[in-house]
Amino acid sequence: MRNLFLMPIAILAAAFVLLTASASGQPAPSAPKTSPPKNWVQPKTPWGDPDIQGTWTSDDCIGTPLNRPANFGDRLYYTEQELTDRLNRLKTQHENDLKETVAADQRVGTGPPGHWGERARRPCTQTSLVTDPPNGHVPDMLPEAKLRPVPEGAGNNTPKADTPEDFSYYIRCITRGVPGSIFPVIYGNGQQIVQGKGMVSIMEEMVHEARIIPVDGRPHAPSNVRSYMGDSRGHWEGNTLVVETTNFLGNRTGIVGNGGGTPTSDVMKTIERFTRISPDEMKYQITIDDPKTYAKPFTVGFPLTMEPGYQNFEYACHEGNYAMFDSLSGARAVEKKAAAQKK
Amino acid sequence: MTYRRSHWGTAWIPLSAAFVLLFSGVPSHGQTPARPAAPARPAAQIPRMPDGKPNFSGLWQALGTAYWDIRDHSAQAGPFFQLGATGAMPAGEGIVEGGEIPYTPAAAAQQKTNLQNRMKLDPEIKCYMPGIPRANYMPFPFQIIQSQRDIAFAYEYATSNRVVNMGKFKEGSVDTWMGTSNGKWEGDTLVVDVSSLNGNSWFDRSGNFQSENTHIVERFTLADADHINYEATIDDKTIYTKPWKISTVLYRRKEKGAQLNEFKCVEFVEQLIYGDLEKKK
Repeated sequence: MRNLFLMPIAILAAAFVLLTASASGQPAPSAPKTSPPKNWVQPKTPWGDPDIQGTWTSDDCIGTPLNRPANFGDRLYYTEQELTDRLNRLKTQHENDLKETVAADQRVGTGPPGHWGERARRPCTQTSLVTDPPNGHVPDMLPEAKLRPVPEGAGNNTPKADTPEDFSYYIRCITRGVPGSIFPVIYGNGQQIVQGKGMVSIMEEMVHEARIIPVDGRPHAPSNVRSYMGDSRGHWEGNTLVVETTNFLGNRTGIVGNGGGTPTSDVMKTIERFTRISPDEMKYQITIDDPKTYAKPFTVGFPLTMEPGYQNFEYACHEGNYAMFDSLSGARAVEKKAAAQKK
Repeated sequence: MTYRRSHWGTAWIPLSAAFVLLFSGVPSHGQTPARPAAPARPAAQIPRMPDGKPNFSGLWQALGTAYWDIRDHSAQAGPFFQLGATGAMPAGEGIVEGGEIPYTPAAAAQQKTNLQNRMKLDPEIKCYMPGIPRANYMPFPFQIIQSQRDIAFAYEYATSNRVVNMGKFKEGSVDTWMGTSNGKWEGDTLVVDVSSLNGNSWFDRSGNFQSENTHIVERFTLADADHINYEATIDDKTIYTKPWKISTVLYRRKEKGAQLNEFKCVEFVEQLIYGDLEKKK
């Protein structure tokens, strides 16, 4: 450093980088997790159930496509070489995240500031989130399902914006639904599990969902009591928490990012399987059976991990939904201007 | 069966029976205890965790009308005549100890302004998270899921929730609607310290309010298996002249099939909040 005058600023900048790095809790990326420690035994709650409590995140598969790119065929897992390449890409991304400034010719997005986002800490080992059927693709959608209107999702710069109903349930801050509330996205992937005797709760950060899952053998709610998140019942199969969810309202959220895409139907039934395989890793699987929407059932799966310092934050979405206000008022302003020009 | 000498006498009784006696508070054989009276302990059987701590797990709900006004109030008409009797406010005994909230003069004026502009300002009208303590005595149930460590509260209204940290005290890193809850045990009472509130929450539909400086200490004590005595001490030098306290009872929901349902009210308020921005038909 030749210019000594600049040193304090550089130190300050370095300190700031460290601060932001620790605030987002994102260390440098590392290789995928390997098999669990040899002597690891699934811990039990004092009342004898497998203990899967903690705050888990689906961060590691951020960016992994739902449907498998064609070049991978029936191959679900990346090769060693592919994983090394992906790790190197994550490392480059991590270094870029830590940069305070970008060069004038560098392309930057207009997304939220870096410290809002979450990044994979290690490369996702999968080529797609869909694990079954073997081709890694969501089965064909039924012709009648394709006719369902799809509300506007995030990222549409020219939404219709006549009424709030033109927007997705996520943008309206209502919900991302099941399975949308656990699928990995750019932030807010936290899933805090607290277990009581006969009851498991999963607090999902984004849109502050609280899934209450009785595991005491009680039957489902009456079929006329329906909801966005459905009615969940769980039971233990060995160390696996199996959750069956029914009673969805239907025609609300879909299975694409943040609960977007063609809405699923009121007959959808999901079976989720949570299996803790090490102190800090859980296998998550969901089988989606919706005979009014898809030709056959399919399964999506990815790991959930527990990361040092990772926690849920309150996602007060509706309380600060300026996007809705701005979109509607913006659309009205555009109409007003167009009407004035006509005159 | 294990036998052990009873604490209260020389008789040998089964250990399990001793526990029943211990927790039911029935003195054995009418003998005079050989030691000073035990510290105050709930007279009734209460559910307990395997480690002996009270177990608050279950579906709970407050009765009464504190959600309209935490102070004593008479019945009165509601804001919309169209709702008829269903929209009116029932009379009720308040839950504020001593009856009055010790507002500073400026805060007392603010409460009146809040009440006059309730339809615009009350966070409940807009389906905003209710905050603490309001979430506990709304006309909706809430579920407590108690683990051997942390304790989760899931409120039906607006799917609001909080997890009470029972480990090392954690300072809230940001101010939030539901605040940061740190819990500890004082005997059989669960004491929850709530801080880092964002100050936007009200206590009721009558404009009683808190600020971002408000600090709340809640006390949950099982009176018996189906009742929780709930108390909260509210402290905020910026709007109250002294700390004040509310106390009420939370009842276990026991109807067949009763469960925490979903009340995602955002879609019920969109017309109210955004209606004037919609495209005119």
